[in-house]
Amino acid sequence: MPRALPAEYRSKVRKPGDFDAFWGDVMRQASTVPLEPEMVPDPLRTSDDIETFQVFYASIDHVRIAAWYCRPAGRAGRAPAIVLLPGYQMDPPIPKEWARKGYAALSVAPRGKLRSNRQFNPGYPNLLTHNMVDRHTYAYRGFYVDTWRGIDFLLSRPEVDPARVGVTGSSQGGGLTITTAAMRPEVRAASAGAPYLCGFVDAIELTHTYPYEEINDYLRLNPERRADVEETLAYFDGISFADRIACPIIVNVGLQDNVCPPETGYALFERIGSKDKHLYPYDGHGHDAGRARHTAVVDAFFARHLQGASEVRR
Amino acid sequence: MTAMHDYWQHALDELSRCPARPEIEPLPLRSTAFATLYGVRLSSLGPYRLFGYLSIPNGAGPFPAIYYAPKYQSVLEIIPQGTANLQRSRYVTFSLAGRGQRNADSPYAAMFPGLFTDGIDDAASYPFRGIVADSIRGLEFLLTRREVDPARVVVAGNDVALITAALGKGATHAVTAPALFYRTAELAPKTQAYPLEEINDYLRLHPARAGAVRRTLANFDLVGLAPRVTAATLVMAGAPGSLLDAAALRPLTAALKGPVTVYESQQSLYKDGLYSERWMAERCAIADVQSILPEHWRE
Repeated sequence: MPRALPAEYRSKVRKPGDFDAFWGDVMRQASTVPLEPEMVPDPLRTSDDIETFQVFYASIDHVRIAAWYCRPAGRAGRAPAIVLLPGYQMDPPIPKEWARKGYAALSVAPRGKLRSNRQFNPGYPNLLTHNMVDRHTYAYRGFYVDTWRGIDFLLSRPEVDPARVGVTGSSQGGGLTITTAAMRPEVRAASAGAPYLCGFVDAIELTHTYPYEEINDYLRLNPERRADVEETLAYFDGISFADRIACPIIVNVGLQDNVCPPETGYALFERIGSKDKHLYPYDGHGHDAGRARHTAVVDAFFARHLQGASEVRR
Repeated sequence: MTAMHDYWQHALDELSRCPARPEIEPLPLRSTAFATLYGVRLSSLGPYRLFGYLSIPNGAGPFPAIYYAPKYQSVLEIIPQGTANLQRSRYVTFSLAGRGQRNADSPYAAMFPGLFTDGIDDAASYPFRGIVADSIRGLEFLLTRREVDPARVVVAGNDVALITAALGKGATHAVTAPALFYRTAELAPKTQAYPLEEINDYLRLHPARAGAVRRTLANFDLVGLAPRVTAATLVMAGAPGSLLDAAALRPLTAALKGPVTVYESQQSLYKDGLYSERWMAERCAIADVQSILPEHWRE
């Protein structure tokens, strides 16, 4: 039987009644941990036009988080800033290209990634299902907070304009863009590509590819834990976060995405609370979600919302 | 004999003196109704202990095999992200972490970016010499498995996959997407994108080492190694106009000894991935490739 059109798919994700209370409590726990930011110049990655730093800061449970930070060299005044969030198994990139566009750019390595894995390292595959039966200890509880604390780092920097902070990423980075835009009102614009971590319980039926297949592996071996797993995942699903998003946001999906099913992208987009939202579906594209064409859209979007704002104030 | 030949002959001789001593352990969490997954530990030159994921289809073999050579990333995948898990029902798959990657990161934990230029000014101790040996050791191990049909063995990956097909024995097919070692010294200054930007970073900080870097890279140059590749090869080139497009790679594709197919990226992971899946299936006599494609790629 042919699949239904992605736009017609109806997600099974239901937002828990105490969702806001749960995350409010997590945020309170995180707020008791001082950020203790540290910026270490990286001469190997620094050039005449771009300054690069290795950044470290503390997150919930006192886990030390690493990031790459690039800024245009010799810039006077405050700059717009971008947080880049990484894919599931990719190594966080050094965000020089964003600095070349005029942004102070932070590329976060949440716990478990290289350079942030001394205290927490469930590995890959495994991160997705690590402690998945308990929302209070699930791997993504801290992982999400690590990305939100990236905003705090940027706000601590004198060269960053706090009114012009954006967030972007693709795949897991797209899912983290959703959760960050939802939980941090300081985010003024967001661009999420091929969002992962959205529609977990839908995706494991729609596709049988890794990384989502990790959940199917777990449930095959532990079928009696399905209810606990589904309960936990509802608290971490980007679709549950989406109605909190108020900033301008764009989402791009590939209609032949074999990693993050496009159906989940549509379901997510429908739940996004912002009035200023736009979906870009790319037919003939998989998990790239039309990146080659969409990059120009993203650049123009952030230029309008983060660089244009400066002109308005002047 | 060339310096490149001597460089690799020494590495291969050293590897041959290092027994693999494999340990194989079933991994029930990743085993399914159609395939059993094993964790494999084995030794490479150094000696250095490696890790890989071996998946064996259930049922009577022998089966075609895909060997996923070490990639340029920290994570070791069972099969590449986005590949249908059902691929494991038709192929034996073996993915190997080279030294420095997760699961093979003790005592050497590589950084990404970072690995590409780590120790690049000394060819003898450059980590990629060991990584290539690791990859060859992985292929050797795979070919010891009675479940594998030795007439249908694909080596897949980036530059390391092609070098493995050149220096190792037993690959009947290769799928390669060059990224690191094709005319590196010449192409790096033309881009600001990683991984080649690692070379630019390194030479900006250490300009006096440029000669040593060139000497090391000369041992890895794919054009020089290509005449040793007899496997039928699919070269996944970049999109037209990109740094590693088909035109740029022509010296490489012309130098490969076996039959060559060149595919130019359409900048779609769907179209590009579908092409390589079909290419492998056709060469491995898998008629119903539709049944092992991801759901969103099926017609």
